[in-house]
Amino acid sequence: MDDLYRSELMEVYKDPTHRGHLSNPSIALEKQNAFCGDHLHLSLKIKNNIIEDAKFDGEMCFVSIIGADFLIEEIIGKTIEEAKKIDQKKLLELIDLNLTTSRIACATLTLKALQEALNKYEK
Amino acid sequence: MLNITKIKADFPIFKNHPELIYLDNAATSQKPQIVIDRITKFYSNENANVHRGVYPLSEEASEAYDEARQKVASFIGARTNREIIFTKGTTESLNLVAQSYALNNLKKDDEVLVTDFEHHSNFLPWQNVCQKTGAILKILNSDEKGFISDEEWQKKLNKKTKIVAIAHASNVLGTISDIKKIAELVHGVDAVLVVDGAQAIPHLQVDVQNLDCDFYAFSGHKMLGPMGIGVLYVKEEILAKMVPYQLGGGMIESVSLDDVIFADYPEKFEAGTPNVAGAIALTSAMDYLLATGLEEIRKHEILLSEFLLAGLAKIEKVRIFGSASANERTGLVSFYVEGVHAHDLSDYLAKRGLALRAGFHCAMPLHQSRACGATLRASYYLYNSEKDLEFLLTSLEEAISYYG
Repeated sequence: MDDLYRSELMEVYKDPTHRGHLSNPSIALEKQNAFCGDHLHLSLKIKNNIIEDAKFDGEMCFVSIIGADFLIEEIIGKTIEEAKKIDQKKLLELIDLNLTTSRIACATLTLKALQEALNKYEK
Repeated sequence: MLNITKIKADFPIFKNHPELIYLDNAATSQKPQIVIDRITKFYSNENANVHRGVYPLSEEASEAYDEARQKVASFIGARTNREIIFTKGTTESLNLVAQSYALNNLKKDDEVLVTDFEHHSNFLPWQNVCQKTGAILKILNSDEKGFISDEEWQKKLNKKTKIVAIAHASNVLGTISDIKKIAELVHGVDAVLVVDGAQAIPHLQVDVQNLDCDFYAFSGHKMLGPMGIGVLYVKEEILAKMVPYQLGGGMIESVSLDDVIFADYPEKFEAGTPNVAGAIALTSAMDYLLATGLEEIRKHEILLSEFLLAGLAKIEKVRIFGSASANERTGLVSFYVEGVHAHDLSDYLAKRGLALRAGFHCAMPLHQSRACGATLRASYYLYNSEKDLEFLLTSLEEAISYYG
């Protein structure tokens, strides 16, 4: 098996650090991957422009879960502006997986939800 | 019994990819050498546009195209070759029915019935014409096996029903519908029956007169033929009620600055240069299927279905879609594994050379009605063996324990 199944990633997949729902989030939203029907719930706690905490949950595949957990790890403690700068390229570098085109959509599901949530929060 | 080794040798894809175990035949089939050769031969020796030139090459191409139409007509048991319209595939065939027949014959408050297991291509065209005409789109809900119960027909079918559109076989459940019986019900209320035959014609002997449907749509590429060629069969008395929705060359009798007289059917529904090579090569695919034996192919698929259904039933956490009976299915089984995502499984299987489809298979309403996420679909054909499926089952068990 290739790097998609690296053992440290399997551990994240089986027990992701940031899985769950925040109580009293500053903003929360649901997002769906039209390709496979995956559902994502993302909640963020923001104080003084800083992302203090974030959680994700839902019915998701391996690649979506890795994408979500790594992204949240990256944004906690960052300002909204810093978090908004994270793009697809940056996220794919973070998770360091050799993905086929169809599965990039899985990896970036949470990223898309995050950008949507931050834009909504600022309005 | 089919000689799988011999059959497989006819398909160059397997020579070029010795590790490939191709189980995505419901998406498209592989092509035998004779089909590939027929395309090459047309473009190397016979290429000219049809129905235009009077020089020999064009006349020969025209004759070959007409002959292809005749062969298709006899393959599906049409009364005449005038009932055969060449399209680029099932999707275009169904859109042609919607735009050329339904749009002109539906009125406000008429009713159109489709099932909940339709492929999007036999659902969206009806949603669209209903929105345009004010007709009402009603859904026939299938039971767990994928059949429409008598009660459901009684509840939904009535004098207001003008069109019923149904797949001969579902691309997700594999379930084969009893079209002959359905045609009787539909004609009983003077409605017309549109059949999406994409998943059925590669596997079953289709006789449109016996089925008594009014429209039958299918693609060449799922039955060993090339991509980009398909067929719409229309019962002759209905052809007169249809108006062309694509206009252009090859479909007119005369044109003036302010008027047009269309050619007769079927040409008037084939605007533009047709896919002549595709039509001819499709008949090579039909010849190949006939020579191999449609009945033998069907028997082989039933054995494979029995083997796969029994194997999957033994794996914990696997949930099978549709009927448990191999006789009620075409050559496919869709399933999901509790707790493991279909895309993760198909990724794992792909790394072992297994080509399967994971997702919604262009049937989102069905997955919604079954309250289910993405599924995996194994679909097989005449070149697949029990060994292929055995390897699938072992690999699947490995994948499940890996993710579990």
